[in-house]
Amino acid sequence: MKMKRAGHFWALDLAGAALFCIGISGGVSALVASPGGSRTWLWIACLAAGGACRAGAIWLVNRFAMPAAQDHANLWRSAVMRRLLGARLPAPLTAGASAALAIDHVQAIEEHGARFQPARISATFGPLIALGIIALASWVSALILLATLLPFVVGMIFAGTSARRASERQLEALAALSGLFVDRVRHLPLIRHFGAERRIAQQVETATRDVAERTVAVLRAAFLSSAVLEFFSAIAVALVAIYCGFSLLKLLPFRAPESLTLARAFFALAMAPEVYLPMRRLAAAYHEKQMGEAAETALAAYGPGAAPLAVPQPKSGAAPQQAPRAGFDGLVVETLALAWPGRAIGPVSLRLGAAGMVALSGPTGSGKTSTLAAIAGQIEALDGRIATASGHPLDPAAIAWAAQRPLLLPGTLRRNLALAAPDADDAAILAVAERVGLGPLLARRRGLDLAIDHRGSGLSGGERRRIGLARAILSARPLLLCDEPTADLDAQSARQVTQVLRDLARDHALVVATHDAAVIAVADAEIAL
Amino acid sequence: MKTSPLTPSATIPSPLELARPTGAAARALRWGRLAAMAAALAGLLLLGISGWFLTGAAIAGAGGLLAVQAFNYLIPSAAIRLLAILRTVARYSERLLSHKAALGAMAQLRARLFRVLAAQDSRTAPNLSAGEASARLIGDIAALEDLIVRQATRPGSVAAALAGVALAAFAGIVPALLLALLFLGFVPLIGTLSRRWTQAPAREAAEALGDLRSRYVDMAQARAEIAAYGLVEEILAELAPLVERLDRARAALFRAEAAVAGVQLLYGALAAILVLATATRGPALVALAILAATAAIEGLAAITRTAFRQASVDAGLRRLEALLALPEPPQEAPAATRAPATLELATLTLQPGDRLALTGPSGSGKTIVLETLAGLRAHPLAMRVAGEPLAACAAATLQAQFALAAQDAPLLAGTIADNLRLARPAVAEPAMHAALRVACLETRIAGLARGLDTPLGEDGAPLSGGERKRLALARALLAERPWLLLDEPTEGLDAATERELVARLDVYLRETGKGLVLVSHRAHPLTLASRALGVETLVTL
Repeated sequence: MKMKRAGHFWALDLAGAALFCIGISGGVSALVASPGGSRTWLWIACLAAGGACRAGAIWLVNRFAMPAAQDHANLWRSAVMRRLLGARLPAPLTAGASAALAIDHVQAIEEHGARFQPARISATFGPLIALGIIALASWVSALILLATLLPFVVGMIFAGTSARRASERQLEALAALSGLFVDRVRHLPLIRHFGAERRIAQQVETATRDVAERTVAVLRAAFLSSAVLEFFSAIAVALVAIYCGFSLLKLLPFRAPESLTLARAFFALAMAPEVYLPMRRLAAAYHEKQMGEAAETALAAYGPGAAPLAVPQPKSGAAPQQAPRAGFDGLVVETLALAWPGRAIGPVSLRLGAAGMVALSGPTGSGKTSTLAAIAGQIEALDGRIATASGHPLDPAAIAWAAQRPLLLPGTLRRNLALAAPDADDAAILAVAERVGLGPLLARRRGLDLAIDHRGSGLSGGERRRIGLARAILSARPLLLCDEPTADLDAQSARQVTQVLRDLARDHALVVATHDAAVIAVADAEIAL
Repeated sequence: MKTSPLTPSATIPSPLELARPTGAAARALRWGRLAAMAAALAGLLLLGISGWFLTGAAIAGAGGLLAVQAFNYLIPSAAIRLLAILRTVARYSERLLSHKAALGAMAQLRARLFRVLAAQDSRTAPNLSAGEASARLIGDIAALEDLIVRQATRPGSVAAALAGVALAAFAGIVPALLLALLFLGFVPLIGTLSRRWTQAPAREAAEALGDLRSRYVDMAQARAEIAAYGLVEEILAELAPLVERLDRARAALFRAEAAVAGVQLLYGALAAILVLATATRGPALVALAILAATAAIEGLAAITRTAFRQASVDAGLRRLEALLALPEPPQEAPAATRAPATLELATLTLQPGDRLALTGPSGSGKTIVLETLAGLRAHPLAMRVAGEPLAACAAATLQAQFALAAQDAPLLAGTIADNLRLARPAVAEPAMHAALRVACLETRIAGLARGLDTPLGEDGAPLSGGERKRLALARALLAERPWLLLDEPTEGLDAATERELVARLDVYLRETGKGLVLVSHRAHPLTLASRALGVETLVTL
């Protein structure tokens, strides 16, 4: 992966560190050789070059890691969005939850790639390269550092596992707390209505303090792993300093294994912290690692590697108008049951000919929209059968959907009406627009060239609803699923839309989810959820 | 003096001040600062003394046996080991204590923020019920917490800088002065560079993210159409420029972060060069000074990180500030009218205990009338409560008079009992069961394994839509207000249950003498009411 390659620039950082240490050790031993004498500019140049290399290294790492991480994250993003917006889902998702998956989780994957991956490369090779460089100056120092590195790794494994568990618990507690806080903030009007402000405030306060106390207890363990890191890096510096000092004093209790000069000893000492620096970098990116991995787990079912889409995409080039109409001879739904954790809908059974209208009724939240979505093959059903009257599987290209809040894309009214039938000509579009009652809008504004922004500014709720209906009719699909076609409309518009539906039912099969008694009254049958 | 809406007046403390720890948290912060200083000093001295020891040892070693014997190696070598341990302990304590202080302080801030928000009047308060607004609030609070954790490390940076200058003085006055100048310049330099390099991309990234999110949410809401018509590729193309803009801004921000860190590295090299070029004392002391100077610059990393993040959190801080600046209402609210009040709706006068049905086609504003009476929204309506125009009524009066069972039946995340208790503190279980019985929900709840203690999920699961409505109805009954406001109470019920519910409500209203304002598009519940009023006489939409 390319973000790992960006991590290779950390080698430049080590080269810079080595140059810097050469500058320091050379400069100091030059002073010893000729006290008060001229300082060679060579050593100062080494210091400057070392600093520049290190600054350059971090810039290069960040410069290349982020675009690479974004490329990787964008693969996830488009795969996740394709699924969330266009494929069959195991359970319905709110738009907010969908955005959390497609945007926030993908961002966590990006951060993981940009911060953690390069740090991981540096932590894998960095300590060994640093040891190799130190060995060139003093192999005993390198051995001492290696010896402190081993218990450090073991310590990290122990402290690391317990810290990981601890910090996972902490994340859960914090998530639960912010969940409670968000829930209570959202329901403030309700809380105020029942005069429960003080009590709920007290409850929030207690919960917050509770979590704070629990978190501190958890952090004790979590910080242990960084303490292990600190301890060994400090001990490593101390041991190298003492070994080199005693070696220079020729006071070692054993025969000197190597002959050290001040420059070599000083270099080993100054480089010693570099052995541990890559791992510190890794520890600093631990949060990104955790969030990134959590995100990949959450997205596993939607990501690039997941199983192929379950819903065949109906969009095909070759004359889609005729084929589905020929195959569709009515709709049969038998004991359709939907279930996901905490929710169960159905069983629902209905039967509909090639023309006619069935009303699905029930209060808000009773599962009308989910049932429609299951008929359209957009969410998975637990049980039941959905087929055409002659028993064939339902072709997704036979199904049109008229939404409660239709999709609007920036562009002309023409583009929006013909979204599901890009080849339709103006005459056909105008005829359908008239049929659903968009005539006054077309006359008032600039006809089909009327510019529409993504908010649908200037369109009333009724006009939007009619655009969705016109789009569904233009798609020339024989089965029309309508979601709350008259909700939030003024009485007159609701009457007109109901009239349009009745009219459509003469040559289309309509399943209408509604709780409007007037719509239910004109349907051929009512299925109550 | 001119004050812009963004600069809070002097009397309103900023969130940072409000989050200042007190009590035990303040003690933790003080010790945390001490530990940060100790850790910074120990780290600096560890490197400095090691360098000095090495150089001294080399000179002594070259000077022969006498010089070696004269060289006191015991104290420095012991000091080095001691410092290594001290640094570890101090760093651990610093981390723990600063988090303890920050968590304690943030608990106080959250509680206070909630109290301020809860004490507002729903009719005028900022609306935080949308997911976006509350999620942003959480993000802002998290950013503030991060700032507070970092606060504790600042004294450590300062201590490292001072110690660096002091140790440089061993190598000569000139290097010490130069180093002092470098340190003095550091904070303004890093602050300025961070602002210049990160502010624009940080703002751009935040805006791009907001735009992408709101466009994506539009698309997610239209998912059924997108999937049915196979429009996904078109939608992805629609979103692509927004994603590109976000990616560009975030890449720029990431580069800026590297640039700021790079400046700090160059700064460290400059410090070492200045000390080496200008030191006048012996080589051992120069070694001490160089290592101390570079370590001190590294110790300033905490300041760099804070400066870098500042640009991203400023906007969040201002939003929190605006919420905290909401007036906290006086402890003693204006006296509420608690005795059952008469209602005047246009020309119609209702005495306590009267039962009214509001009629009108869907979308004509019946729900608006109920919500306005309940004090949930401000809408100009020709209504009076206890002789007072509705707009002039204290929120407490409306709370004391009305109990609403709303159409969408909002429920708190918590147990069934939690939701019932919302209406009346310390309500006993028999009272809960009685209210559930009126709402025809008693057997359903009794059938749940955990009964009243059943936790409700985000959408009120395991209760169905109709059951959630009846739970909200039971809650409104428990509030025991003189007037009951019911919005479509039987929607979604089968005819038999509807009859039972209406019958039980009728008995309840008769026995308690409560008044009723009812909205229903179904015929049977309307038999509860003795009078009817067309909503068009009240509302002009």
